[in-house]
Amino acid sequence: MIDDTAQADTFILFDLAGTTYGIRSRYVQQMEMLEHVTPVPNAPPFVEGVVFSRGQVIPAVSLRARFGLEKAPYDLRTRLIVVQVGSRVVGLIVDSAREFLSIPEEAIQPPPEAISDTSGRFLEGIAMLGSRMVLVLNVEALVDIAETVPAPPGGA
Amino acid sequence: MSEPEPFSAAFLDDYFAECDEHLATVRRDLLALESSIGEAALDRERLESLFRAFHSIKGLSGMVGLQEAERLAHVLESYLRALRRGEAVLTQAGMDAAVAATRTLEQVIGAFRERAPIPEVAPAISRLEEILPAAAPPPSQPPPAPQRLSGVPGGFPELPEREREKLLAALQSGGCAYWVEFRPSPALAERGINVNAVRARLREAGEIVHAAPRVDAEGAISFEFLVVGPIGEAQVAEWERDGLSCRPYPLPEAPAAAEARPAPPSAAPPPPTLSLAPSNVVRVDLARLDELMRLVGELVIDRSRLEDELRRVERALPTGAWRSLQEIQSTMARHLRDLREAVMRVRMVPIGEVFDRMRFVVRDLARDTGKQVRLELSGPETEIDKYIVERMMDPLLHLVRNAVSHGLETPQERVAQGKPAEGTIRLSASTVGDLVAIAVEDDGRGIDLEEVAARAQAQGLLPEGASVGLHNLLDILCAPGFSTRLDADVASGRGVGMAVGRTTVQDLGGTLSVETWPGRGTRFFIHLPLTLAIVDALLVRVGGQTYAVPQPSVREIIEVRPEEVRRVGEDEIASYRGGPLPLFRLARFFRLEESSPEASYALVVGSGPGTVGLVVDRVLSKREIVVHALSDPLVRVPGIAGATDLGDGRAVLILDVGALARWRHTDWAESRPAQRRTEDDR
Repeated sequence: MIDDTAQADTFILFDLAGTTYGIRSRYVQQMEMLEHVTPVPNAPPFVEGVVFSRGQVIPAVSLRARFGLEKAPYDLRTRLIVVQVGSRVVGLIVDSAREFLSIPEEAIQPPPEAISDTSGRFLEGIAMLGSRMVLVLNVEALVDIAETVPAPPGGA
Repeated sequence: MSEPEPFSAAFLDDYFAECDEHLATVRRDLLALESSIGEAALDRERLESLFRAFHSIKGLSGMVGLQEAERLAHVLESYLRALRRGEAVLTQAGMDAAVAATRTLEQVIGAFRERAPIPEVAPAISRLEEILPAAAPPPSQPPPAPQRLSGVPGGFPELPEREREKLLAALQSGGCAYWVEFRPSPALAERGINVNAVRARLREAGEIVHAAPRVDAEGAISFEFLVVGPIGEAQVAEWERDGLSCRPYPLPEAPAAAEARPAPPSAAPPPPTLSLAPSNVVRVDLARLDELMRLVGELVIDRSRLEDELRRVERALPTGAWRSLQEIQSTMARHLRDLREAVMRVRMVPIGEVFDRMRFVVRDLARDTGKQVRLELSGPETEIDKYIVERMMDPLLHLVRNAVSHGLETPQERVAQGKPAEGTIRLSASTVGDLVAIAVEDDGRGIDLEEVAARAQAQGLLPEGASVGLHNLLDILCAPGFSTRLDADVASGRGVGMAVGRTTVQDLGGTLSVETWPGRGTRFFIHLPLTLAIVDALLVRVGGQTYAVPQPSVREIIEVRPEEVRRVGEDEIASYRGGPLPLFRLARFFRLEESSPEASYALVVGSGPGTVGLVVDRVLSKREIVVHALSDPLVRVPGIAGATDLGDGRAVLILDVGALARWRHTDWAESRPAQRRTEDDR
């Protein structure tokens, strides 16, 4: 949990269908090139399968599918962002990722109600950095299988 | 000293093992101190470590009633305390006396282990007492309550190392520790206060770090608990009203800071050496064995890669050269297998440790429920991986509790049915190939399938009109929230334990099954792999995907020709050894592309009426695989037990054959959503 008095937090930025998203870097264990993903039968549709990451078998979640977007074929830019939430380790498949950025907490606004649809419940907030918009992910909601209530904005 | 009864045998083993450890510390640190004789500033860390070692031995010895060791450790501890506080200076005489007392201490513990006469301890004690500061009270006087209540100030028994660690860990997250004693009585039982209720309440309040039954001099039983958590005074007051006696437990870092003794230094003869009683027991942290197992796993993968590569270059090499390489490879395979087994053997412990604890559970429950129960144990010497044993405790507890509170009838009911008033619960374990079979059976009323069906329908767990048979009984019993009794009692939970128990068993790569006979009893079977991590597996190909199937669960592989398959409604049946073999098409279940209906293969799995043929396209090869759990709920799906790496970094899924075979026997169009719900509820 982030202390309210924290001035800024560091984020990993990545792209998904032309939009920039940010994940708080403390969740991120590492980033990998996406290699072979083994499909897991009868898993939820947004779970592409499993991969080995540092000797551990972890689920690989297609963020495109999670957000209800069309799937895209993997290419050299495709990345697996390995996040740790509590004791769970999950890989998130994104179109590309390379930036590491510090964002002041006050720049993060709660997501507007207008986008509280499919992807909205996975958002913690929106950061405006000049003309650039970064959607801040709520990682915990993202990997929550029950897809329950979204965490309160800015509180996660 | 009385003969140790069977139950305490395991405890005594722990006592000896812990004493060995502490004595090893003492030998090391005592001798290291020798170089500091006559110096004012001693190595504080060593003094601390010695002090703690003697303190622990004192407490442990008190618990097993070995007074001689307790008194020796007490006087050694006092000496160390004086040194630590600078009230005494380490002299050669002091060192000699300490070494002599330590040697006697070793002899006392050794004699106790051998059940030999305990050697005289008075000379060693008085020799050390002479060194001790004169102002002290006579230190040979044993600690206040010598039998058990020593070790921790306030008359609390010393906790075993493991519990002490748990205590420290629990205190880290805040809260305070209370020592709670409960003495069952009929009056309290009438108010619903029994040991299980107490345990449940304490668990709500915090973590139970220590729990032990205790028999006092009059033969009355009481239970002691050490509970840590955010426990308020109001809570304590409430417990006290319900007949529990509660005392705050001191923080473990503060060992007895009681009597102090300033010490006069004295003169010095030459340093003696300690005679070390050899011990053949080495205690190893399980994590180190895990690491060893992991390394063996890596080797197994490397060797498989070597084998694959050799096969690939066979044509490119002269026959002789290839042969000798191949020969080295197969020797390596053999040695690796031996190594793996040797490491596995190190991890094995007898399951009797777990069984023994069930005795207490059964004893308590029998009294609480007014039933007469005889517990039969068989195969307690059966060995199983330590990791597995520890995790099997809760599932077994649950099954045993169920057996007593639901399975067995009251004595009156039993007599009325012509059964002996005393019910029998039988816990047995045996090794079957690569599996350990554990059975929990009772000779009680059996499970009323119709009652289960009615209740499951009422709770929406079963469609109207569907019936319950042995094939789906377990699914229902394990459904979250299912209980066979409206008045679900404290003892056997509310249908949660079964679900958790089954998941635990499955996570360990095992299976749970049940058989029941109306009026005659119920038997739960748990089949577990002897060990985790590495198994022999068949690699099969289905719908373009490769899967691994643990070989012990495959009875036979048969060829299935389309013309030999008969259709019965939705089902497909092949013939196998003159009987029908229901087929289970993996491709269909996994929603993969189904192969052209040329010849395919069926892996015959399951037993008795549960036998099915898992249909695959091809069987590729057999090899050793390293099992990784699929623990994340996102990928915990029916029929998949884990994943493995064949050396190329790709994950290959391992089939859960038992679950698939069971699935074939349920209408899976119907039960799939139910199953998913179970998974999600975790």
